[in-house]
Amino acid sequence: MTTTELPTTDLPTTELPATGSLRILSRWSPYVTTGRYVVLFALVCVFLIPVYVLLVTAFKDPSQVSPSRMWQLPDSLSLDTFRTVWPKLNHGLRNSLLMAVPAALISSLLGAANGFVLSKWRFPGDDIVFPLILFGMFIPYQAILIPMRQLLTEWHLIGGLNGLILVHIIYGLPITTLIFRSYFAGISDELIDASQVDGAGMLRTFAYVALPIAIPAFAVSVIWQFTSAWNDFLFGLVITNPSSAPVTVALNNVAGGQVVPYHEAMASALVASIPTLLVYILMGRFFMRGLMAGALKG
Amino acid sequence: MYRLRRWGPGLLLISPTLIILAIFVYGFLARNIQVSLSNWRGLTARYDYVGFDYYTRLFQDTRFTQDVKNLTVFTLIFVFGALIFGFCLALLLERGVRAEGLFRGIFLFPMAISFIATAVVWRWLMSNATGSQETGLNKLFKSMGLGFLANDWFKTDSVWAMGAVALAAGWALVGYIMALFLAGMRGVSDDLREAARVDGANEVRVFWYVVRPMLWPVVMAAIVILAHISLKTFDLIYAMDPKSRKIETPALYMWFTTFDGFFFSRGAAIATLLVLGIAVVIVPYIWYTMRLERRK
Amino acid sequence: MASDERERAPAPAATAAATQLDPSAIEAPAAETAELGEGPEPAGIRLENITKRFKGGIEAVKDVTLAVEPGEFMVLVGPSGCGKSTLLRIMAGLEEVSAGRVYLGDKDVTTQLPQHRDIAMVFQSYALYPRMTVRRNMGFGLRMRRTPKAERQRRVAEVAGILGLEHLLSRRPGALSGGQRQRVAMGRAIVREPRVFLMDEPLSNLDAKLRVSMRAQLSLLHQRLGVTTVYVTHDQVEAMTLGQRVAVLRDGLLQQVDTPQVLFKRPVNLFVAAFIGSPSMNFVHAKIADQAVTFADVKIPLPAESPVAGQDRDVILGIRPTAFALASGGGSWVLHAVPEVVEELGDERYVIFDIDAPRVDTDATRAAIDARSTDDALLLPEDRARFTVRLPTETRVAVGEPFSLTVNPDRLYFFDLETGATLG
Repeated sequence: MTTTELPTTDLPTTELPATGSLRILSRWSPYVTTGRYVVLFALVCVFLIPVYVLLVTAFKDPSQVSPSRMWQLPDSLSLDTFRTVWPKLNHGLRNSLLMAVPAALISSLLGAANGFVLSKWRFPGDDIVFPLILFGMFIPYQAILIPMRQLLTEWHLIGGLNGLILVHIIYGLPITTLIFRSYFAGISDELIDASQVDGAGMLRTFAYVALPIAIPAFAVSVIWQFTSAWNDFLFGLVITNPSSAPVTVALNNVAGGQVVPYHEAMASALVASIPTLLVYILMGRFFMRGLMAGALKG
Repeated sequence: MYRLRRWGPGLLLISPTLIILAIFVYGFLARNIQVSLSNWRGLTARYDYVGFDYYTRLFQDTRFTQDVKNLTVFTLIFVFGALIFGFCLALLLERGVRAEGLFRGIFLFPMAISFIATAVVWRWLMSNATGSQETGLNKLFKSMGLGFLANDWFKTDSVWAMGAVALAAGWALVGYIMALFLAGMRGVSDDLREAARVDGANEVRVFWYVVRPMLWPVVMAAIVILAHISLKTFDLIYAMDPKSRKIETPALYMWFTTFDGFFFSRGAAIATLLVLGIAVVIVPYIWYTMRLERRK
Repeated sequence: MASDERERAPAPAATAAATQLDPSAIEAPAAETAELGEGPEPAGIRLENITKRFKGGIEAVKDVTLAVEPGEFMVLVGPSGCGKSTLLRIMAGLEEVSAGRVYLGDKDVTTQLPQHRDIAMVFQSYALYPRMTVRRNMGFGLRMRRTPKAERQRRVAEVAGILGLEHLLSRRPGALSGGQRQRVAMGRAIVREPRVFLMDEPLSNLDAKLRVSMRAQLSLLHQRLGVTTVYVTHDQVEAMTLGQRVAVLRDGLLQQVDTPQVLFKRPVNLFVAAFIGSPSMNFVHAKIADQAVTFADVKIPLPAESPVAGQDRDVILGIRPTAFALASGGGSWVLHAVPEVVEELGDERYVIFDIDAPRVDTDATRAAIDARSTDDALLLPEDRARFTVRLPTETRVAVGEPFSLTVNPDRLYFFDLETGATLG
């Protein structure tokens, strides 16, 4: 660990400075560079086709929506489709919000405690415990669906939001633990030593020293968990009633039928995705770190 | 006793999580296995032991075997597609382009939206309607003179219907793989490349001999992650065309047979097989990562 | 750090003012001393047969017994890996002992957790809490021990005054220069009024000039507060200037514990002789016979009281650079040499030359210069030893011009070839 004065509080990211951008290596260089930009631009266009279709259709006047006019730009922008779709989705949106925010916050807090212990207040056997926790991150939900349903029914948590929140807290624990453990590992051990010498035991060291330092990790964890919980579908499908269904389930109901009003489908998809997209756009850096952590590379 | 005072509090703090995961992960997995070894059909739970009956029956079940075939095709196309395209994108961005943040942001955004939304949009794009109802990519192709590319997508009669689903899934994940490769490529210190250049290697050689060997860990990580996502994929297919057998995978089958058909034991068996499939890739990966960490 | 540069850039006077402790606060009249000095009675620390084994079997500390007197400033010194930091951490309770006992005052604290021991520690990296202000950093220990707020604030203000930190109390560590952070770390320890201070290389992250000035201030602080201090460093100059007694460690074993003067004049073995003193003692393989010691073409007669007089053996001979004088005549006891390098230091001069005698290259000498392998040692062929002598500036020496030296026979050191122990 470096002996610099302050702990480095950053998770590794791909935001490294560009390498070798000004090197003139051969007479092909200018062509290669232009070529790269051209290819990139083309790929971006192809990649954004779904986005184009979605935006163009959602903002079209419903009367102009038809299969044959799919690719055409709207003659005029209209918010009618959104008005139609909103009542179908707003309960789902509210439910998702009421579910994702507490789930993200609570599982992050628990994850912080776990990460702290696993990296800074170790106990015998913790290097076996951690992989066991990690494995929970990868299991398919199908494998626990049946027992989960049984248990939640027994505890009268089926149907409402509370069961869903509980589930997301539980299955978010591995990734939040991972995020915080990586983060705390980068903090100097001497800080914990100093805290002990100053008279703080584990709990007070955690509360007064570790937690205040871990705010960047909190950002990563909360954002990642929020996105994860918001975008979940399977648990929402199994555990909730229609009145407490999250927005993904509502979206599927609107847009998933066989006879699909395309414009409603597109508008719904957009509305359902706005919160997480906003988070992504505004806090992209933290989102990235969560991604890297999930690959066990953070 | 003294040693306990040192690390005891930490263990206590982490114990709620340990208990929770012991029950909700490992306990449930065990219970799921128990159900799969029982004869539970219908709404009342039954735990009479019938051995591996349901497992053997699965392997004789044409629906299941078809699903496995579908899953295999899907995994292969999805994993390699995302790998190759992710790699190419990383290659294009690696040297640094203006507005790199913007490019990265564009390719990564699908990771922020749900698979349901992805499926909703791609379902329309991959419509195989004809005549006046013709729409989606088929229509685009025709209007660009690429009519020969039009096809039935995920309604194709062959196993290649999964390819269409793999296309949508790959679109969603390619940015993630690109980010992994970018991180890996940039982790190769400039000094190494400089040394090679000074020794006379051109850019292609520099890449092939210096950078490429360092990317194997990234490739491995990418394959493991993609493979395990592939086995778990449910949302995407369910929203695209739930009842279609052409794109059904074991994950879907488990759902239908359990919550529509109430064949709990069969569903549990499928789920257990899914876990095993994932464990085969994940457990070595976790073990390998932990060992690397210990060495440091 | 930007703030580092900002602090060093202005005129030296300003810099000095910014980094000095307030001298008037230190040399305070008795009345003022009563306030801070009213802490608990200073306690001694006793380590008995301490052994520390790490996972993998490495023994970082081997059966060390050490007693630090109450109020004493004891320095633990040695090359990296010698176990000094481990010993300090054991005193703090941050490491468990594998064997042995630790006493703080009269109390056996071997199994006591760090938070319950009445010690304060200054870390090499300062370990300041990044998200707390200087005020809260310094008050943290008192807060943990549930000192009433008023008392806490009073003590923090007082110590901040002594250390010149009053204007920094509301800043966070990130906004401080290296020197300022170091003082906050010290302040955090002082405020606690513990029975013992433990310091783990607190000056090594400072630049050279700052280090020298802080050294003096540490001494002043110790004089004023009188708290038992155990100080770890790898720099023997720091050890010699700060320590009332110095404990020299090597590979987990205690070599010698004495005052700096005794360590310098009467080192107990080759390692201590080579480690203490800068520039290092000169060593050469020599032979004792006929009441004289011979090396190269020099034969120095030994006085009758010499501990090795009358013996007939091969030894390692050690001579401090200050034990030489320019010779004005001939004789078999005169050393003739040709200077290779002359280092001018203003009021003294170091002359470096080779002699035609086998160089001493043992584990002990290598460890003393913290060399890891033979490659790190002098880039010399094995049959020539390199000597450094200190001569007054008036002496006329020039590179390449032969000169002659005599050695004071009372200032010769002899070391056993196998054990490295000092003979006599």
